[in-house]
Order: sequence, then C-alpha cells, then structure tokens
Amino acid sequence: MPKEKRKRFFIITALAIIVLTILSALARPPAHHEAIGEVMRDAVLHETNKISLLGLLDVNPGLIAAFTVTGIVLVFSVIARIFVIPRFKTVPGRFQLLLESAVGFFEDLAKSNSPHRNTFLGSYVFAAGFYIFVSTLFELIGFQAVTTNGTIISLPAPLSDINGAIMLGCLSYLVILSGGIAQNGIRGVGLALKEFSLPVSMSFRMFGALLSGALVTEMVYHYTHLSYGLPVIVGVLFTLLHALIQAYVLTMLTSLFYGEVTEPKEKHKK
Amino acid sequence: MPLNIDFQQILLHLLNFVILFAILYFFLYGPVKKFMDDRTEQYKRMDEKARKDAEDAASAKSEYETRLAEVGKEIDKEKKAARRSIAEQTEKSLYAAKREAERIIDQANKKAETDRERIIEQAGEDIADMVADATEKLVLKSSASESYDSFLEAALGGERNE
Repeated sequence: MPKEKRKRFFIITALAIIVLTILSALARPPAHHEAIGEVMRDAVLHETNKISLLGLLDVNPGLIAAFTVTGIVLVFSVIARIFVIPRFKTVPGRFQLLLESAVGFFEDLAKSNSPHRNTFLGSYVFAAGFYIFVSTLFELIGFQAVTTNGTIISLPAPLSDINGAIMLGCLSYLVILSGGIAQNGIRGVGLALKEFSLPVSMSFRMFGALLSGALVTEMVYHYTHLSYGLPVIVGVLFTLLHALIQAYVLTMLTSLFYGEVTEPKEKHKK
Repeated sequence: MPLNIDFQQILLHLLNFVILFAILYFFLYGPVKKFMDDRTEQYKRMDEKARKDAEDAASAKSEYETRLAEVGKEIDKEKKAARRSIAEQTEKSLYAAKREAERIIDQANKKAETDRERIIEQAGEDIADMVADATEKLVLKSSASESYDSFLEAALGGERNE
C-alpha cells in the first residue's frame, strides 16, 4: 500500500473509533434484567439460569451446549465422511490438508509423548482436542436458548460449565490410568496414582481458562460502550486463542502423563 | 456440592463425550488416518520399488560391465586365435607354394633337360645328315647332271603309270 493511502486509512479508522466511542458513551444503556455481578455469579455457579432437558431434568446451559456441539460435529463428520473423504487425493487440497494436519498433529503428539503405546491415545487426544476447540468457538455463534425462568440466554462454551470440565479432566486421568494398567499392570496403577492431583488440576485449569473467557465476554457485552470494536478482539481473537491453547494444553498433558505411565520398566543388570 | 457440581450432569457430559468420541473416531479420525497410512504405505512401496529397481539396475550394469569385460577378453582371445590361424594358414600356403614352385622348377628343369637332350640328339642327327649330304654332294658332284636326268625320268615315269 502506498504511504499516502496508508496514512488516509489510519486517519479514517481513528476517526471512526473516536466517533463510535462518543456515540456509545452518549447512548442510553439497555435495561438489563440482571446486574453484572449476578450474571458473573450465574456464569460460575449456574444457580438461576437452568434449561430443561426434554422436560426430564433441569440442567446447566453448558450441557445443552455440549449436546448441540455434538450434533454439529456429527453433521460435519457425516458430511465429511460421505462427500469429502472418499474424494481424497494423494496431493491434498485445502480442506483435505486441514483434516490431515489435525489428525497428523494429534497422532504425532501421541507418538512423540508415548512412543510405546499410542493407538488409543491418538484417537482420544484427537477427540478431546477437537471437542475443546469446537466447543470453545461455539460460544462465538451465540446460540439462543430459553431458560426455565423464561429468559433468553446465549449458550456458553460447554467446558465453562464445571461439570463438563470435571468430566474431561477425570476422563483424561482415567485414560492415563487405563493405559498404565494395560502396559505395566500394578506398576502402571502406582505410576498413575502418584499423579493423584492430575484430574483436579486438569479439570480446574480448563474450567478456569474457559470461565475467564466467558466472564470477560459477558462483561464486554454487558456495557454498551465496550461493545464497539472491542468484541472483535475479545470475542473472536481471545476465544480463538484460548480455544487453541486449551486444546493443546489438555491433549499435551494427557499424552505426556500417558507416555510416562506406559513406559516399559527397564530391566537392571544384576 | 460446592460450585454447583452435579454428578448426574457430569455423567451426562461423559455420555455426550463418548458419543462425540465414537462419531469422530468412526467418521473422521479413523478414515483420515487410514487414508494417510495407506498413502504412507504406498510411498514406502514406491520408495522400496525405486530402491529395488536402482539396485537391479546397478546389478545389471555391473553384470553387463563384467560381461563386456569378458567379451573383450573373448574378442582378444579370438583375435589372437585368428591371427595364429592366419599365420599358420599363411605358412602352410607359403610352404605349399614353395613346394609347388619347386615342383614346377624341377619339372621345368627336367623338361629343359629332355628338350636339350632331344635338341642335341636332333642336332647330332642333322649334323650327320648334313655331313652325309655334304659327302654325297662331294662324291656325286661330277655326275650331278646325270643324276638330275635320272630323277626327271623317274618322275615322269611315275606320272605315266598313274
């Protein structure tokens, strides 16, 4: 871009930001049903906003979000399986490259961290990574749902629900434990139990990371004058970034500990 | 429970994740991995084949070079044998020619000797005849006219008889 054009572009952008900021400051704030404190408290504890699961049970919005994500993934996977994968070429196109890179990345992660036993681990970390990434990005869509109170809320990321985070943390620990048992028997159990704090740390790390994202987003959207410009950075870039980071952190930790407990015992020479 | 932790919902999350895992494994991870593995296997086979072909080519080249060297030796050997054979043949031909030449010379010598003897003999006879003629001429010189007459008579007598 020429120097003059670039200068003009920056001036116009700066003016637009200033005008929008002034307008947002002058704008009348919308009437909120809940105060920000209540919204944040509910985002953490899910005490007030519950959603009915087929009329059987009142559940947290995160669970409904999780089922929705599974539905989306199912549709995407079936379409990919029927229309894309059979047309795979030896020299891949863009979408094929994306799928192959994702599969190859998690397979390599499993192989490099657990060279002795990695067949199941590869598929598990792929599923977990894919779930974390997609479910974190899911909050960007803003799927609407009606709570049992009759209020409309946008569905949060499934893993910002503590129950979802605990499930994934504990399941990852169980996978590690079962890998240890399958490879080393009792010794594997011992090695896995040595890291007894792992399920708690993994669960709460993920819950904390995703919850913080959700809280920041809630706060940004709660105040009108923060809703101009900032959501592009907070809503999209931060979400995308922590989706990638959390998917990588959990899968990497699982692979690492799995590799540790499935390492065969070296026989010492007498 | 603190933080509104609910075991029922944890189990529902688990059920959801198990379903998601199965979907991803059967529809995405498995087929894509299979395709990638097959392609890797195909490239390995191609690589193996190319390596084997290269090895075969190197082996064939080495074999051809060995054979070429052997053929060169064989050619040298054949050349030597041919030279030897030609030399022997030439020697034989020369010997035969020499023999023939000797035979011809011998024959010519013999013929020349025979001719010489015959000529000498013939010459002796001629000389004798000449001597006899000369003697006769000397002896019969006086009666030549008579003789001539008698000859004429004899000749004429003959014509009449016929």
